[in-house]
Amino acid sequence: MTRIRRGYIAWRRRTKIRLFASSFRGAHSRLTRTITQQKIRALVSAHRDRDRQKINFRHLWITRINAAIRERGACHSYSRLINDLYKRQLLLNRKILAQIAISNRNCLYMISNEIIKEVSWKESTETELPGE
Amino acid sequence: MIAYATSSSAMFAASHKNPLLSTNHTTTTTNRNFQIRCQRNLAPVEQRWMFTDSNFTGPDVWNKTWYPKAEDHVNTEKTWYVVDATDKILGRLASTIAIHIRGKNLATYTPSVDMGAFVIVVNADKVAVSGKKRTQKLYRRHSGRPGGMKVETLDQLQQRIPERIIEHAVRGMLPKGRLGRDLFTHLKVYTGPDHPHQAQTPIDLPIRDKRIQKQT
Repeated sequence: MTRIRRGYIAWRRRTKIRLFASSFRGAHSRLTRTITQQKIRALVSAHRDRDRQKINFRHLWITRINAAIRERGACHSYSRLINDLYKRQLLLNRKILAQIAISNRNCLYMISNEIIKEVSWKESTETELPGE
Repeated sequence: MIAYATSSSAMFAASHKNPLLSTNHTTTTTNRNFQIRCQRNLAPVEQRWMFTDSNFTGPDVWNKTWYPKAEDHVNTEKTWYVVDATDKILGRLASTIAIHIRGKNLATYTPSVDMGAFVIVVNADKVAVSGKKRTQKLYRRHSGRPGGMKVETLDQLQQRIPERIIEHAVRGMLPKGRLGRDLFTHLKVYTGPDHPHQAQTPIDLPIRDKRIQKQT
């Protein structure tokens, strides 16, 4: 029997995977079996971290807003700011607030002063209602 | 009111070139002493056709969370703080120091970048602890060989190497890793009342904790 090569089918499949892992370090971009494994791991990480990315960024924004607000004084905190935001029904989300905190700190202080004033005014007027 | 709007109108009055298509160096001044530097606000090459007839200028603030550039965390321009550790509770002091070194009190906090300040601690041997910790708190270390565990109490360590107490406390509160080890080098602890960093003009560390001073 003559020797029959298997052709280019497997080679073509592996080249696509090799292209994906072409920037990996060391054997992870050179050895075929390792390349397939590392491509799977990379895609799994990417899938899981796309969801974690949303969580991580939200944590970062919260930390930044907290830091910016606490510089104002002892009674200011992120939790009170968010509470006042909800009471005033202001729809600014944490991403925008964090970017405002970095680029234009005065604006953030103006916003927080406005909502604190409004909330304290509303609370003082609510306590005057009869029927308690 | 937003700083970008004023800079954009000024730029358009000056020239009709779209800044996203040509090199441009802008610095946006903000509150306090912090200045965000945004250089080379160019759009990527394959996206420049989108910006040919629009008047966007500067980086996209509302869709890209700010990340510090190299100019935003040069070590030579960071603030230096000085703390006197006399009669301050060890853990509370270490906590405040770690927060300032890590940069968590700044709105520009980034976990992957060293944005914190330098902290100098003087009079480290006079730091206070409550309760019976002075004779009962143990500091352990291991030499790596079997039976090589060495145990010391706080007052023994204070007589030997007083700086190590505060360093140990702060190191436990900083992140562990490459960045954490670099952050630890920003802490300078001295036993006596003076320090060799007069040239950096350190300012007093603002302490918000009310219970940090030992009640005598």
